[in-house]
Parts: sequence; structure tokens; C-alpha cells
Amino acid sequence: MARDLAIDLGTANTLVYMKGKGIVLNEPSVIALNRQTGEVLATGREAWQMIGRTPGYIVAVRPLRGGAITDFEITERMIRLLLQRVGVSRFTRPKVVICVPSAITEVERRAVTDAARRAGAADAQLIEQPMAAAIGADLPIDEPVGNMVIDIGGGTSETAVISLGGIVALEAVRVGSFDIDASIQAYVRREHGIAIGERTAEEVKVAIGSAAVTDDESQAEVRGRDLMSGLPKTVVLTPEEIRFAIDDVVSSIIASVVRCLAKAPPELAQDFLVRGMYLVGGGGLLRGLAQRIEKETQVPVRMSNMPLEAVVMGAGHCIEHYDALKGMFMGARR
Amino acid sequence: MIAVVLIGLAFLAILFIGVRMIKAGPRHEPGVVSFRKHIDALSPEARREVMDRVRPPQNDHPDGSK
Repeated sequence: MARDLAIDLGTANTLVYMKGKGIVLNEPSVIALNRQTGEVLATGREAWQMIGRTPGYIVAVRPLRGGAITDFEITERMIRLLLQRVGVSRFTRPKVVICVPSAITEVERRAVTDAARRAGAADAQLIEQPMAAAIGADLPIDEPVGNMVIDIGGGTSETAVISLGGIVALEAVRVGSFDIDASIQAYVRREHGIAIGERTAEEVKVAIGSAAVTDDESQAEVRGRDLMSGLPKTVVLTPEEIRFAIDDVVSSIIASVVRCLAKAPPELAQDFLVRGMYLVGGGGLLRGLAQRIEKETQVPVRMSNMPLEAVVMGAGHCIEHYDALKGMFMGARR
Repeated sequence: MIAVVLIGLAFLAILFIGVRMIKAGPRHEPGVVSFRKHIDALSPEARREVMDRVRPPQNDHPDGSK
């Protein structure tokens, strides 16, 4: 008998929580395929290391973009391989709860559940990421108070107001930390005339990226390919340049937070001033982002204890209390 | 004659199974009970098990505030 599973199927990383056990898998959502035969060559971390470094016959892809499935077949294969890695076989069919962006369409919703069922799940239910994040961030969502959670993932940023176990207001944009990486890539190409890969852009973001001025304003050397000569070239980037490069993306995330605040009923809105908003997701780790949101909304922003694991922990709690919480699943409320 | 009896018995058996299945089907709990269960399952006490299973042992600040 297989143990039931909770899956955070993120654009950047996939995390799996096993009932009664905890997090059993945390890997990048990447799959490497043989272009000629269609065979899967690697998944997860191994495939992530191949991005941008493969020979012509290998392609390393992220099957999810902007929180949406871009390739149904590849996603299904990736889910099947992930489930196999945590011990699911055709004889052990667990119940699965999958976290998805709240802005997911009906078609995408069906694609995810079908992919999980075909990959070996006996039953697949979906839960909105901000709801799972609020449970995982240990917010008192069982009380009649306003809890606000901002979940910034790889491809989506979602802000939700939650009270008494349900979503009161929600705002989602298909913009996330991958768009920050893309902005850095575009800036370096435009202003310095060199091409850098997405992994290098991510490294720059982690090293010197910030949304507001911070104490550490050190510079970073970046190596790429000169667009004119085609030769390798090194340039020095400053945190100020990166702030300028990513400002559009950061502003768009903050604008969605403001829209969500505006949607909240006044009785709950006053709670935010005391309790603050909670930041979860990998994108929330961008330096100075909490301060910038705080400055622009005048509401305190706090970082969750485990921002990267909060969503899967919330979904894990749902799988542990499946019967009591099944009313929270996306299909159940319609 | 035997055929009629057999058909009758089969009909009764199907009827009996049908009644049992309807009785054993999902019963709707009153709203108050199911809502209480839902809220109780989201309480910090109910969540403690999952949090303890995942959280690193050195973290003891419950709300993660800075």
C-alpha cells in the first residue's frame, strides 16, 4: 500500500511530501530528453545541470512555464518518474494532492490531474498554492482574522487574504523569479553587449540582485559571449544596475500585492497592520524585496520560516488530514 | 416454475444489495459539524505534526518573524 503524497509542482522546483514521513524529494522541475528518440535521459538536479550545456541531440527543458504546463506529455513523464523515485508503482496507487497556481485554467487543471492519474495516482486533487503556503507558513488561518500571504514562485506571484480556512481575496500574476532572471539576461545583452545563459543570470541575481538598497552593495564579475566578436568576455555588474534591470518585474509583483490589499474587506485589512504579510516562495528571498513591499504598502512584511518548503508543507498537512480538509480542494468548491 | 422462482430470488437479491448500497453511501454531515472538523484540522495543534516533521530542529520561533 503506497503512502499518499503531496506535490508542489513548481515552475522552478518540485517537492514531494509523503504522508507520515515528510519531504522525500526536492529537485528542479527539469527533464532532459534525447531529441531523436524521445527517451528521458535525466530528471531533476542532474537535468538542471545540463541546461544550456547540451550537445545537439539532448534537450533539457522545464515543462512548466509561468505556472502552466507548456508540454503535457513531458510533464506527465516527469511526474511519472518523480513518483517512481518515491516508490509509486502500478501496484501501489496513492492519493495525491498537487499544489497549482490559483490562476490555472480549467484545461490546465485537467491536464495536471490527468498527468498525475496516468503517472500512477489513484486520485489526484488540486489545492491553490497561496492556501497551501498559508498552512505551511503556520499562519492562524483557522481564526476569524486577516492572514495575508505573498507567494513568489518561479513563474507566478500570488497574494491571498485568508480567514476561517478560506480565501477571501486573491490576486495572481504570471510573473516570478524566472522573469527576474530573464530581465537580467536582457539587460546584460542590451547594455554590455554580451550574451549570458539563464543559469548565469540566476547566479547574478543570487549574488548581487536586490529590490532595494541593502547594506552589502558589492559588485559581481559576469562571464559571457561577446555579441560582436563572439569571444568570451567578462563584465562587472553593480547592484544598482541589477535593480534597474529587474524593476519592471518587481513593480508588477508589488502592484499585484496592492491590488489584493484593495480587495480585502476593511475588517480584515486592519489586521494586516498588526499581523503583517508573510512572504513565501523562492522569489521572496530576493534581497530588499520585503523592505520594498513594506515601504510601498505601509504594511509590515515578514519572511516565512521555511519559504521554499511552505507550499509542500501545507499540501502535506492536507494529505495528513485528507477527509477533514477535502472541502479545500479546487474541484470540491465548485 | 423453477425459472420464475430463480428470477424472483435474483430480483430480491438485487433489491437487497441496492438497499444496502444506498444505506452505506456517503451521508452528508450537518454543516456545523463538517465546518468544525475543517477548522479544527487547520488549528496550530493539528499542524504541529507536519511542522515538526519538516522543520529543522534548531528553529523554535513559531511565526518566523524577523
